[in-house]
Amino acid sequence: MSGGTKLFMNFDITPTSHTLAEYKARGGYQALAKALKEMKPDQVTKEVLSSGLLGHGGAAFLAGRKWGVVKLNDGQPHYLCMNADEGEPGTFKDRWFLENTPHLLLESMLIGSYALQGRHSFIYIRGEFDLAYRRMAESLEEAYAAGLFGENIMGTDFSCDLVIYRGAGSYVCGEASAMLTSLEGKKGYPRNRPPRLTVAGLYQKPTVVNNVETLANVPYIVTHGAEGFRKVGTATSPGTQVISVSGHINTPGVYELEYGYPFADFLANECGGMLNGSELKCVVPGGISTKVLTREDIMPLAMDHNSFVAAGSQLGSQGMIVVAEGTCMVRLLQVMLRFYHHESCGQCTPCREGMGWLERISNRLVAGEGRPEDISRLYQISRANDGTTICGLGDAAGYATVGILDKYRHEFEYYIENKRSMYEGRLEVAGLGESARAIAASAVA
Amino acid sequence: MIEFFIDGVPMTAESGQTVIQAATAAGVLIPSFCWHPHLSAPGNCRICMVEIEQDGGDPWFDIACNMPVTKGMRILTDSDKVRELRKDTMQFITLNHPVDCGICNKSGECLLQDHHYAYNGQPSLSRDSKTHATKFYPLSDRIMLDNERCIMCSRCVRFTDEISKSHALGVLNRGDHSLIRPNTEVDFNYDPYSDNVIDICPVGALLSTQLLDHARVWYLKNTPSVCPGCERGCNINVWHRKPEWKLNALSPRLNTSIDRVTPLDNPAVNGPWICNKARDLSKLLERPRAEVAMVKGAPVSVEHAVRTAAAMIAIARKGVALVSSWGSNEELAAYHSTLAPSFTNFVKADHVPLPGERIEDDVLIKPDKNPNRHSARAMFDALPENPADALSAATDLVFVWGEGAPMEAIPASARVILLSSYAHDDNAHADVFLPISVQTERNGHYTNFQGVVSEFQQCFQKASGVADASALFESLFSSMSGGPATLASPLPSNQRMVLSAPMPTTPPAGGE
Repeated sequence: MSGGTKLFMNFDITPTSHTLAEYKARGGYQALAKALKEMKPDQVTKEVLSSGLLGHGGAAFLAGRKWGVVKLNDGQPHYLCMNADEGEPGTFKDRWFLENTPHLLLESMLIGSYALQGRHSFIYIRGEFDLAYRRMAESLEEAYAAGLFGENIMGTDFSCDLVIYRGAGSYVCGEASAMLTSLEGKKGYPRNRPPRLTVAGLYQKPTVVNNVETLANVPYIVTHGAEGFRKVGTATSPGTQVISVSGHINTPGVYELEYGYPFADFLANECGGMLNGSELKCVVPGGISTKVLTREDIMPLAMDHNSFVAAGSQLGSQGMIVVAEGTCMVRLLQVMLRFYHHESCGQCTPCREGMGWLERISNRLVAGEGRPEDISRLYQISRANDGTTICGLGDAAGYATVGILDKYRHEFEYYIENKRSMYEGRLEVAGLGESARAIAASAVA
Repeated sequence: MIEFFIDGVPMTAESGQTVIQAATAAGVLIPSFCWHPHLSAPGNCRICMVEIEQDGGDPWFDIACNMPVTKGMRILTDSDKVRELRKDTMQFITLNHPVDCGICNKSGECLLQDHHYAYNGQPSLSRDSKTHATKFYPLSDRIMLDNERCIMCSRCVRFTDEISKSHALGVLNRGDHSLIRPNTEVDFNYDPYSDNVIDICPVGALLSTQLLDHARVWYLKNTPSVCPGCERGCNINVWHRKPEWKLNALSPRLNTSIDRVTPLDNPAVNGPWICNKARDLSKLLERPRAEVAMVKGAPVSVEHAVRTAAAMIAIARKGVALVSSWGSNEELAAYHSTLAPSFTNFVKADHVPLPGERIEDDVLIKPDKNPNRHSARAMFDALPENPADALSAATDLVFVWGEGAPMEAIPASARVILLSSYAHDDNAHADVFLPISVQTERNGHYTNFQGVVSEFQQCFQKASGVADASALFESLFSSMSGGPATLASPLPSNQRMVLSAPMPTTPPAGGE
């Protein structure tokens, strides 16, 4: 396998590879023993900070900085929450961790809770993740039975309990504050800042919320030290990234890549090239909330944060959607906007009303009832959502809209003028037409 | 104290205050829908967005209701960019709002109307149809919800969570199909503070069934008053028809009846809230009235009744007076200086809790359902729990002021002088009956259980046969002391009892 060093995908997946026994056989829970017996809580935090580990949830902030804000001796309970409410369209990489390395995540939670001196920790799992939830729940029982949770873990003073909580299917609950509100049993509305969650989060107590993959890096950092971790990846984006890729490619799936791996190699090797030899049109790089990158933009890029930000987009939540030539961008935008409208929580005004407005305009465009001023209206609604909402959902919808409009405005103008798509009747790219015809033919036969 | 600047003007704020709190305290208006000074700040309407100037950097924008004031902060509330953002927000807020002001009961006192004229002023930019929602949804027997007009500010939900603590309301669904709905486990009918959500609703989404399609607010005027429903003495506004918009075609009663009651913010007493009993003040005050004086059940002139009563008081050997706990401070003072020495005085409870009424809670409602017992008790003893202890067999005259007297406990041999406002069987059984005015027909003050004095003002004219109790006390007193039965007190002419007026043959219908 190419793609550089593997921190996670370095074992064969078998029906029992997720169990405690096999995880221990792979060296599991040694990092926990090292952390508990050889390191102080603030040393763990310091190690994570100096490793340069970036958050993998989408915003790519320094993970250790968030941990460092929590004051260890403030007399308050601290909470660590793992954000496994992976709902960004195109992103399904956390699911791989939850289903295949549940004990790695439990070990990460224990080390993280030790670093933050948290007595209780939580995993908020997306409601639709069924196998993932069952694997996590079984593994937690295994871990409790092995004395890895509860009182005096590994004979030390450290005690920790973990609760796995299933979400109810709301996208916005993947936003950290909405997740905590939902965890408290309330309607999953995001909260205004200030106060920050590290000051007043879950039950108004200092809380750190981290993405699944972010936390999964912690045992490696503890075992190999910050220096060992920095040997992987690039200087500004150390470590690896686990990318979920879908769309018009031959082998969609989840792949672990060292930061800095060239996109062209990724497309050719891991993705198996474009589906049926079609041409690459554009890539939605990190979940649909990131700005779309055209073929010209993305082909020369190395896959690390700096390169993607320089190209005007982000790696985001590492969910790539590869789009082939011949896809109608007006309809693509419509699908995206339908999602945002459906998932807007309805708490704050610009997003509640704006998402519906955007979708209604896009529906009208696709129905051939667009007017020239609709394009400027889409821009205006996107702008009015930028930075004016409580959470990032409204902003994200605006980025997606502006990203597509900036690069493919001519398709919208064509659609409005001719009342039909530029690509009507030519959507043979996926080869789905042929395979569907083949299936139909065999069914008839 | 933190020093900061709003639009270049130096101001001070207390530590922990948000920008909108500090600005409001300083008299600077920052528009808001969801923010209410007495509720938490959810920051969801986004209309209070202000600009914060930065030294050598781009300004940033944030909502004033959730931003703590920091030292030296420079706030701009009316910059070009802020105006633009407000305009955008108003476009969003009115996107799915029906803008049916012409048929909306809130019209004329609507925050959305005000902010629209101030910050937007242009029609909707949308060409698409609005989302539709439930038009008439009864949240309770008292409140009608129009979901299309609702702008999801969540003030009503927060009120039931934070003030009345009934947790009776919540938000159903997501996005632009969110709906305010009652909690399935709590009946909003049992929230005694429910009608406050009508006042705090910034739009016409929550409507009082009392006022719905009943009157436009610009035909009404508000008169400051005090709720007599309990010893809290909540300050209220009594809304009634403006004299210049007098209705001629319909029943003249409509011109002298209470159209609605709203809170009058008094931080020392009730803040901006009142309970539903105050909203139903018309039920309490607009019961059938007694408007004719009587001697042994026979209608007589007020002058005759006063002379008869004065003669009774003059010859009584052991008179007992049951003093009203609904009299104003002025009336109690008049009574104290005139008739009180002639009697052994006891303060009675004019009203006791009605069946099903909430007795007491930690919000506003107090157990004593009389507004001025505090002042009355400062002058006189309370009526003993067993009224017979006060009304011995030797009692030969009982002077009853107001309702709620234990008539059955009065010895059969004793004569009764009764002063009351309402029609009741007891009136005809009294030896002398004198009709008196109600609270909305006079000025006065009540002192509540905390000792806070609140003023109520006259809303309506009295019927011609009805007098203020204080005027009656003085004329009884002067009649007893041999003087003519005329009124000497310098009361305004509209309150003066006209003793020479002829007896009306039929009770006047209109009150004027």
